[in-house]
Amino acid sequence: MLIAHMICSLLSYAAFLVAFVTGIGFLIQERQLKRKTMGWWFHRLPSLGALDRLNFAAIGVGFWLLSAGMACGVAGMRVWLGRWWMGDSKACFTALLWALYLLLWLVRLRATLRGRRVALLSILTFSLVLFTFLGASWLLPSKHPYL
Amino acid sequence: MHIVLVGLNHRSAPVELRERLAFRREQLPDALARLRRDVGLREAAILSTCNRVEIYAGVPVLDGAITRLQEFLSRHSGVVLPQLVERLYSYAEPQSIHHLFSVTSGLDSMVLGEGEILHQVKHAYEWAKGSGATGKLLNALFQRALNAAKAVRTQTAIGRGGTSIGTVAVELAEKIFGHLSGAVVLLIGAGKVGELTLKRLAARGVRQARIMNRSPERAASLACGYGAIPVALGELGAQLLDVDIVISSTSAEGCVLDRQAVAGAMRGRQQRPLCLVDLGVPRNVDPAAGTLENVYLFDVDDLQGLVAHAHEERQQAVHDSTAIIDQKVERFLAWHRREFELEPCVL
Repeated sequence: MLIAHMICSLLSYAAFLVAFVTGIGFLIQERQLKRKTMGWWFHRLPSLGALDRLNFAAIGVGFWLLSAGMACGVAGMRVWLGRWWMGDSKACFTALLWALYLLLWLVRLRATLRGRRVALLSILTFSLVLFTFLGASWLLPSKHPYL
Repeated sequence: MHIVLVGLNHRSAPVELRERLAFRREQLPDALARLRRDVGLREAAILSTCNRVEIYAGVPVLDGAITRLQEFLSRHSGVVLPQLVERLYSYAEPQSIHHLFSVTSGLDSMVLGEGEILHQVKHAYEWAKGSGATGKLLNALFQRALNAAKAVRTQTAIGRGGTSIGTVAVELAEKIFGHLSGAVVLLIGAGKVGELTLKRLAARGVRQARIMNRSPERAASLACGYGAIPVALGELGAQLLDVDIVISSTSAEGCVLDRQAVAGAMRGRQQRPLCLVDLGVPRNVDPAAGTLENVYLFDVDDLQGLVAHAHEERQQAVHDSTAIIDQKVERFLAWHRREFELEPCVL
């Protein structure tokens, strides 16, 4: 259960990294097109359509992997500690991350938001991924034994 | 064995002469057979396009080979030899090799860096090979020419950017949507450039083309030519909810599309990207529409500026391209000398 929790969580972060990178790529390419230039990036980056689709796919895959990872974590805690939730700082931020990516995935799925705004949100939300993965345990008390 | 080349192109001869020398596809097998039988060539290939006719030949001795090739072309075209020779160029290696590598890379084309010539050279080689007219020498020559061209096109900017408003518009649309197979295009008006742009987009396999014109008869006539659907002028608002690319090419005095109309359409189409190509002078589309999110607006000045920029980039890439070709020619020459035990030859 612990291993599944770790693998799913790490893979979800990797997917969110893909969403982050494609978000940046989208903003760069969009700027080229809005400025009507065909610079260095124009020829080397994929189309906006491809970046948008990859970004959406990465958000979706990351969200569901994170959901699976959290489910394994929660189930594992129940088994080992007899509790569903221990209020750990890392777990709290992960829950927040989950909620944000759920929201992002839904607004994109329903096309409430598209293009530039989704790209920006992918980039901003990834900063929380970095904090949750790398920073939360250092700055706040946490029972997660690694990072 | 030596490699000789005799031919003419858009720089050396006018189209009236080039068309007389041109070989149709069905003439090639017989022409290649005659070159080997009557002209004494060991190997031969004919490159015949709208801008050039060139014969590449493998000959055991150089002496008289070029003259015989010139006479062959004179007989084929019906142009008297003295008149024809003025327009022909003739090379042996290394110039013949360098010329083929440069031609295949698009460095000798009317439009610098155009990519069609690579396919034309490939076909010329395949047809010659299929007719049994090539052997070890020309097989290696053409294969290396094609590889050199691919290297030039991937490692330099020689083929980058559009060379006309139509090709630039296609390139921009592809950078917005990716493959255009799912895109719907609407042409408003009947301007020639607009029609050419639609033609370019249609050639890229757009899902559907629609044509809107003041005159329903004109719309229907144009639509027939492109397998498109004519739509009524009054349906512009509804069409904006559906199409992906709009080419506006009317002579209307005022705006055909203002910012408000485009903004309303974007709400209705759930912010799906919209590409607006405004070829009208005066402009048909309100420039402020280009500031809307997910709307990409390009007018004539933007497109012409990109064409000029692409041309400049290609010019700058000539030096790098030539360096790559020089390197590839040297390697081929080294192989050629090894395989055929030749001394360097200069014509």
